[in-house]
Amino acid sequence: MNKQLQQIIHIPPNPPVPPTHQSTEKVYAALIEPKHANTIIRRLNQIAPLQNLQHLKRIQKKQLEGGKPELYVVLCLASENETQSDRMPPDVEDIVNSYHLTPFITEVNKFAALSKEEWEEQCKLWPTSYHPPTYNIPGITGFSEEDSKAVFNFMKSTVELAKSGDHLIVNAAMIVDPLFGQIIASACDEVCSWHTGTSKAKTETCGFKQLEGFTSHVDANITTEDITFLSNGSANNLQQFYKAVSCLNPWWFAQQSFHSSPCYCHPLRHAAIVAIEASAARDRHLFPASGHNEKSYGVDCNSSSSGSLAKRQRVNLENVKNSGEQDANTEGSNSLGRPYLCTGYDIYLIWEPCAMCAMALVHQRIRRIFYALPNPETGALGSVHRLQGEKSLNHHYAVFRVVMPELEFPVER
Amino acid sequence: MESDNLAYMELAIHQAKLASESLEVPVGCVIIKDGEVIASGRNQTTETRNATRHAEMEAIDNLLEMWQRDGLSKAEVAKNFSQCILYVTCEPCIMCAAALSFLGIKEVYYGCANEKFGGCGSILSLHSSCSEPFISDKVPQRGFKCTGGLMASEAISLFRSFYEKGNPNAPKPHRPLVQKKVE
Repeated sequence: MNKQLQQIIHIPPNPPVPPTHQSTEKVYAALIEPKHANTIIRRLNQIAPLQNLQHLKRIQKKQLEGGKPELYVVLCLASENETQSDRMPPDVEDIVNSYHLTPFITEVNKFAALSKEEWEEQCKLWPTSYHPPTYNIPGITGFSEEDSKAVFNFMKSTVELAKSGDHLIVNAAMIVDPLFGQIIASACDEVCSWHTGTSKAKTETCGFKQLEGFTSHVDANITTEDITFLSNGSANNLQQFYKAVSCLNPWWFAQQSFHSSPCYCHPLRHAAIVAIEASAARDRHLFPASGHNEKSYGVDCNSSSSGSLAKRQRVNLENVKNSGEQDANTEGSNSLGRPYLCTGYDIYLIWEPCAMCAMALVHQRIRRIFYALPNPETGALGSVHRLQGEKSLNHHYAVFRVVMPELEFPVER
Repeated sequence: MESDNLAYMELAIHQAKLASESLEVPVGCVIIKDGEVIASGRNQTTETRNATRHAEMEAIDNLLEMWQRDGLSKAEVAKNFSQCILYVTCEPCIMCAAALSFLGIKEVYYGCANEKFGGCGSILSLHSSCSEPFISDKVPQRGFKCTGGLMASEAISLFRSFYEKGNPNAPKPHRPLVQKKVE
C-alpha cells in the first residue's frame, strides 16, 4: 500500500500547463563574439525590443565541453515563414552583416513561467527569468506547521459534521475565523430536509444558539436506499452512494421521479449556501445596530408592500449620508468589530463546490476555501470551472485541496 | 407576445425600484407560470447581510414556500418549475444561473447584461450547459432558453442612478488613505 501523506495543495487561478506543453515562438538567434556582446545587445534592444517576451533572456551562454563559452543572442522574432532569412527587419540585417553573423531559427517559450517546474523546463529551450508571484493571501506560498495543523483539524471537524446526519453522506461546510480559530457557522446539505416553518422566520428572530444547530435531518426515502449500499460496501455503487451530496448531483431534483409525499425539499440548500445564511444570521444577531440602515431592517420585513416603509427608508437615506462620514472616522474599530460579510474568513467543505456555491462564496467575500475531495463533474474551483481565476469577478479567494488519507471517507477506497 | 414580455419586465423593473428605495442594489424579477405572475423578488443583500440574497433567490424561495404550504409533492414542484418563465432586470449571475439550471426552469428573459458576474453568456454560459447527457448514468445537466436585452436601458438607468447616489453599503474603499490624512 502506497501511503499518501496528508498535505495542503494550492489550486491556482490558472490551470497548470505541463512544462512540455507550453506554447513556443520562433526567433532568429546567432552566435556572437563575446567582445561584441554589449554593443550588439544595446543596439538590438533599441531596434528590435522583445516586447511580448519580457521573460526571455536576450543572451545565453553555452559552455561546450573542453571549449570556451559561446554566446548566443536573440536577434528578433521570426515570421511564420521560417525559410526566409531576409524577413528580418533591415536594421537587424545591418547588424548581421556588419558582425558577420549566421542567423538561425530557434524556439523559445512564449509565456512567462508560472511555477519553478515550468521555469526549469523552459530554460532547457532558452533561458528565461522567473519571478515567483507574491500573494497577499496567507498559505499560497506555504503553511507553517502550526497553521497546517489548524487546517487539518478544521477539516476533520467538517468531516465529522458530514457524518453526523443519519448515515446519509452529505456535504458539510464550516466557516471559520482563522485569526481566532473560531467557528462562525456550520451546516450540512439541507436539500431534503427543509421546512418553511424553521427556515426564514427563525433565522430572522431566533437567537444564535438555535442557528448553530443547523444540521440536516434527512429524508427517509433516500436514506433507506443508501444504508443498503453502505452495508453492502459495494464499490461500484459509489455513484449512488454519493447522490445525496448536493454539489455532486445538483440536477437530481429536476429529473428524478418522486413519491407523491409532500415536498420538504429545497434543491438549492447546499451546505455552503446554508452556512452563508447562518453566518449572516450571526452577523445580524451580534451586530444588530452597527450598520447604516438598521432602522429599516427588522421593523417591517414582512410588509414589503407598505408605502410608509418606502417613505421611512427615504428618510433613512439622510441618516445614511451622515453616518457615512462617521464611519470614515471610526473605521478602525468598526472593521475590527464587524467584518464586511465573510471578509477574512475561511470555509471548509468536504467536496469541491458547484458553480452556484462557488459563486455564492465570491459574493460573501470568503478569503480561503479548503476542500477535501474534488468534484470532477460539476466542480467550479478547478474541475469544470475555475472561478478563482475569473478576472472579471470583484473578489478572489484562494483555493486549497486538503489531502487527508487517514480520514477514511469512503470515496477513494 | 412581445407586449406581454414588456409587461412582465415592467413588473420586474418595479421590483428593482422597490429594491432601490430600500437602499439595495436595484435588481428585481418576476416568475410567470401559465401567463400568471406567481412570484416576485428583489435584491435583499444589504438588509440580510447575506450577499446571496439576489432577486432570483428571493422569488424562488417564495415559490418553494408557497408550494410546500400547498402540500405539493416533489414531482409536482419539479414539473411546475419546468413551466416557469423568469423575467429579471439584469442577467443572472453565475450563482443564480446555476441555481436556475438546477431547478430546471423553462426560460429566462433579462434586461441588461452583467459583464462582471453574468452566468448566461457574459462570463460563463450555464444556461446552455448541455454536456454529454447520460454519462455514467448520471442526471444530465440542464440548460434553459435565455434571451437578453429586454428593456435593458431601463435596467441600466436604475443602476446608474443608484450608484450616482453612491452605494452607502459598499465595502470600505480599498485605499482610504485620502480620508485618513484629512483626519
